[in-house]
Amino acid sequence: MVHLFMNPFEKRITNSFEEAPMYVAVLTYMGYGIVILFGYFRDFLRAVGFEKCHQAQEREEQKDFVPLYQDFENFYKRNLYTRVRDNWNRPICSLPGPVFDIMERVSDDYNWTFRLTGRTIENVINMGSYNYLGFAENNVDFLKTVAEETRQYGVGVCSTRQELGNLSIHEKLERLVAEFLGVESAMAFGMGFATNSMNIPALVGKGCLILSDELNHTSLILGARLSGATIRVFKHNNMQSLEKMLKETICSGQPRTHRAWKKILIMVEGIYSMEGSLVRLPEILVLKKKYKAYLYLDEAHSIGAVGPTGRGVTEHFGVDPNEVDVLMGTFTKSFGAAGGYIAGKKELVDYLRSHSHSAVYATAMSPPVVEQIIRAIKCIMGVDGTTEGQRRVRQLAENTRYLRSRLKEMGFIIYGNQDSPVVPLLLYLPGKVGAFSRAMLKRKIGVVVVGFPATPITEARARFCVSAAHTREMLDKVLQSLDELGDYIKVKFSRHRSSYRPELYDETDFELDS
Amino acid sequence: MQLLNRKYLFSFSCKMRFSKLFYSQLLKLMFYSVLFFVCRQKSKMNVGVAHSEVNPNTRVMNSRGIWLTYALGVGMLHIVLLSIPFFTVPVVWTLTNVIHNFGMYVFMHAVKGTPFETPDQGKARLLTHWEQLDYGVQFTSSRKFFTISPIILYFLASFYTKYDTAHFVINTASLLSVLIPKLPQLHGVRIFGINKY
Repeated sequence: MVHLFMNPFEKRITNSFEEAPMYVAVLTYMGYGIVILFGYFRDFLRAVGFEKCHQAQEREEQKDFVPLYQDFENFYKRNLYTRVRDNWNRPICSLPGPVFDIMERVSDDYNWTFRLTGRTIENVINMGSYNYLGFAENNVDFLKTVAEETRQYGVGVCSTRQELGNLSIHEKLERLVAEFLGVESAMAFGMGFATNSMNIPALVGKGCLILSDELNHTSLILGARLSGATIRVFKHNNMQSLEKMLKETICSGQPRTHRAWKKILIMVEGIYSMEGSLVRLPEILVLKKKYKAYLYLDEAHSIGAVGPTGRGVTEHFGVDPNEVDVLMGTFTKSFGAAGGYIAGKKELVDYLRSHSHSAVYATAMSPPVVEQIIRAIKCIMGVDGTTEGQRRVRQLAENTRYLRSRLKEMGFIIYGNQDSPVVPLLLYLPGKVGAFSRAMLKRKIGVVVVGFPATPITEARARFCVSAAHTREMLDKVLQSLDELGDYIKVKFSRHRSSYRPELYDETDFELDS
Repeated sequence: MQLLNRKYLFSFSCKMRFSKLFYSQLLKLMFYSVLFFVCRQKSKMNVGVAHSEVNPNTRVMNSRGIWLTYALGVGMLHIVLLSIPFFTVPVVWTLTNVIHNFGMYVFMHAVKGTPFETPDQGKARLLTHWEQLDYGVQFTSSRKFFTISPIILYFLASFYTKYDTAHFVINTASLLSVLIPKLPQLHGVRIFGINKY
């Protein structure tokens, strides 16, 4: 049952994934059932010719050949996704800061084609961009150093790090990243996805074991697959599952020869972007030491976003970053740039400098991007002489807590940890997903909604990404709209609603001394 | 003399080369087949999804609340049929049984593949939904549930039709049509090549 009294440490480590009442699941399946039946009906009409088929079709001459695509594989896209397609891929015409401008587009044929009306919806509050510290901005003072470095180093490098592409600015960045994280050494790469997919094969190979979380990102899965190691998946954030798997695999050894594993690597993420849950880092470190495994921590979303000074989950849990063997992160989310890094002991990073696929084949990072990261890190660390970075980190934490607690009070079901800036709000029914996104856009708030098959079938959700650049007024506007909309669409499914009592004693309700 | 020697050498070396080629091909075949079986990976690349489940269709029947929804759906069908004034109670039960089994046959044993693209390059394209459940593992709880539910309906239908011969024949035929494809021996079997591609 609900654990009402949690000590502060427990609160920091627990993630909540409240389940909706059973009738919601039943209604969700009925919703999908009705849409599927209508989908079959519409497909029948299209086949017979009553309804115009908007999708690309094979030509008459090709009908006797083996078809290139199966009709049924696009059933979902044709009959479910296209009906609500106007909620994704909306064109914007400003930078994706805390507010942005959306180009208005309408569809005359039920989302098969769109046309831009020419009008712009201005100052739409952006609750979807990964802009945790608000560095997606066009501030002249902040970008002065970026402009200078661009003039000095040029725009592109056109060479790999190992050939001609190693600039002094790259080495400056790597030293700064290592200092920021509190580890010995770091190496930066041009793409966050490529950091995972190109470096995991350099670290593990055949004869090694990878234990990866159920909800790991595609880049981690691809890197694991490319490495050739044996992969076992453990249940999301579940330490019992992980320990059981560790015991079993260590006892049984490699698949055919039953020899000992060369290496065991546990791959987890700092914040999981679809659930908003934080990894249970202290417990994983205990397990890691007990079974002599290595830990690969992907802090794509958590670097800069959690922790009192923005150093990530290691700081959030008070853990020494040198205990994590491989610290990986991206510069895309909190630093407003592009790229990724891997940090750890000096031997590890030196090995990666010579053995990483990125270092040998991929172009080096572009100097303006590197300078943007450098100035963002300096800002967060406070090295540039202002307290702006610390203000932003604190503002983000405040905004996160505020949004999460207010949403919980209102009665929405929110997943994840109380400190994670990724806030998934569960909508469950497919119809509500479309309605929610459209209604929020009408109220000038841009949200990201996700449904099946990207999420499990019953758990369609809207995901909010809190930013330090959001002001209290913006959050209040969002909360008010959510309140009204939640009542109208009826998505307030939480059964643990805490009552919103602004005062401890209601002044109008006192007994007169008589 | 020299010509003869050369021809002889040539044919001899040809034979040697041919047998060497044959053995090298055989060795390569063995090596690659061993490599294939050793290196089969279980995880795939899922772009744009939030989980590492390759084919979500396999987990749908295990999700929370779907058995209840299914039971409620059958109940709703029965009530709708009962409310039609022309049908007597035995006819309604037989109709419920037949329509339920027909629907189950169509959706679980006739329709193949997934309604969305999966990242496993179409491993499940030729499999019906029943064969996709739990990636082909037999005797899981949802398989047992969906095997038992038409049997329960059959019992109820036989009772309410008072074991009348005509109804019995229809109900039994319908039950067999939906039970036989569920046998583990018929996993992936297509009789007479019907519904193969």
